[in-house]
Amino acid sequence: MKRAHFKQAHHPPLIIETRDLTKRYKDFVAVDGVSMHVRKGSVYGFLGPNGAGKSTTMKMLLGLTAPTAGEFKIDGMRFPGDKTAILKKTGSFIESPSFYANLTGRENLDVIRRILGLPQSSIDEALELVGLAEFGGRLAKKYSLGMKQRLGLAGALLGRPPILILDEPTNGLDPVGIHEIRNLIKSLPTTYDCTILVSSHMLSEIELMADDIGILNHGRMLYEGSLDNLRSQALSSGYAADNLEELFLAIIEQDNLARKQKALL
Amino acid sequence: MSAISIELRKERRTGAAIVLPAVGLMGSLYAFANFLVRGETLLSLPLDPMDILLTQLYGMIVVLNMFGAIVATCTVYGLEFRGGAIKKMLVMPLSMAKIYASKLLVLAVGLLLAVAMQNGALALIGSSSLPPSSCDMGQVLVFAGYSLATSMPVLTFMLLVSSRFENMWIPLGMGVAGFLSAVALAGVDLPLTLVHPFVVMLKPAIAMSAQPDIAVLAASAAHTAVFLAAGVWLSGRGHYE
Repeated sequence: MKRAHFKQAHHPPLIIETRDLTKRYKDFVAVDGVSMHVRKGSVYGFLGPNGAGKSTTMKMLLGLTAPTAGEFKIDGMRFPGDKTAILKKTGSFIESPSFYANLTGRENLDVIRRILGLPQSSIDEALELVGLAEFGGRLAKKYSLGMKQRLGLAGALLGRPPILILDEPTNGLDPVGIHEIRNLIKSLPTTYDCTILVSSHMLSEIELMADDIGILNHGRMLYEGSLDNLRSQALSSGYAADNLEELFLAIIEQDNLARKQKALL
Repeated sequence: MSAISIELRKERRTGAAIVLPAVGLMGSLYAFANFLVRGETLLSLPLDPMDILLTQLYGMIVVLNMFGAIVATCTVYGLEFRGGAIKKMLVMPLSMAKIYASKLLVLAVGLLLAVAMQNGALALIGSSSLPPSSCDMGQVLVFAGYSLATSMPVLTFMLLVSSRFENMWIPLGMGVAGFLSAVALAGVDLPLTLVHPFVVMLKPAIAMSAQPDIAVLAASAAHTAVFLAAGVWLSGRGHYE
């Protein structure tokens, strides 16, 4: 599958850029030479089946795990030297929601607020934004999965960070919740002037939020480019432009087949 | 300062910050109750009254302190692991070493309060129940410092192991095993036993003199320095996988 590369002259500057990012666990390669380009102010959809390496890539970007090879820059800064500066401007939500079970939703956000040195009002704003305002006083351990997910999102959004890294943020939400969060994510770059890297294993979901997408399979980036570009590619490959899911599945299938053939050789 | 205030807020509803002061209160009440019941028997022992006061009541007090330290250390890291909160802390612009140091400081202050309460109780008992002019407040103060110093190895060791295991039963089990093995080894007159942090903590309780033992103090200082350095160093290194 051909990769569509961004032309710097026509696009805003890159805020997240990885070069040949690789993560190896003994003989298993979780992320294999991924080069990703996230434009400032965009929503970048990071797409791939389960186990494709999306979360591992995001963990590397947040310094949660060290890359085996390759490098990356976030707003021109690098780990580990600029770790604090990077984390100060990055709100994140990785895998499952993380919270203090003994604290209420509001108290959980207060811990984050104090670390970031934000005003008290930022808590109400974040709770309101994710639709958790009326449950702020409830212990987090008594939240439903969807509420925990919203609390995790509120923690990421606290203080309006200019960069958001969200790993499958709609997991565990009901259809109404998915719709709300999807709309929220889509609106954030305009309202908060931020850049969002959001992962999902569903193209239909990413399609509704993202400006650009990266498709990952078995740790390798199979496609990177704008959604419009993918639509044109779908048309030229004989798929309907309004059914990108088929093209996505075809890309993955083609890659899986190539891997199987390579393994047989 | 803000890291400590954040730490105290995190510990709400867990009791982690009050375990050690509560143990201090229990130890003080035990000392009063014990001396009330057994005071005359204790004072009839062929020992210096100050040695009787400080060493004969310390056995139970040190066991309370040890279990208080085990429970408190397991709780302060258990709360980080329970809802995966540590994962959020790892992506915050706050070093894990700072979080570790804040937890240790909160616990050390708790232990200091416990030791102060217990030795305060001993001082009160001494001034009211010991034969006239035999109560030496200076010696109570020195013993308080000695018991605090010899308790720090267990506190730093337990915090180190609690920070490394997500399953709270592992550090808890190590604490109990440490206590049981220390009970068996504390009476053995071999300098090598001082490599065991729990033995170091029990040493003042099995001694017949309240005078600090320099070898035990040196072992305490070495243990505390090593466990503290290892804890801070490892806390800054653990990547989340």
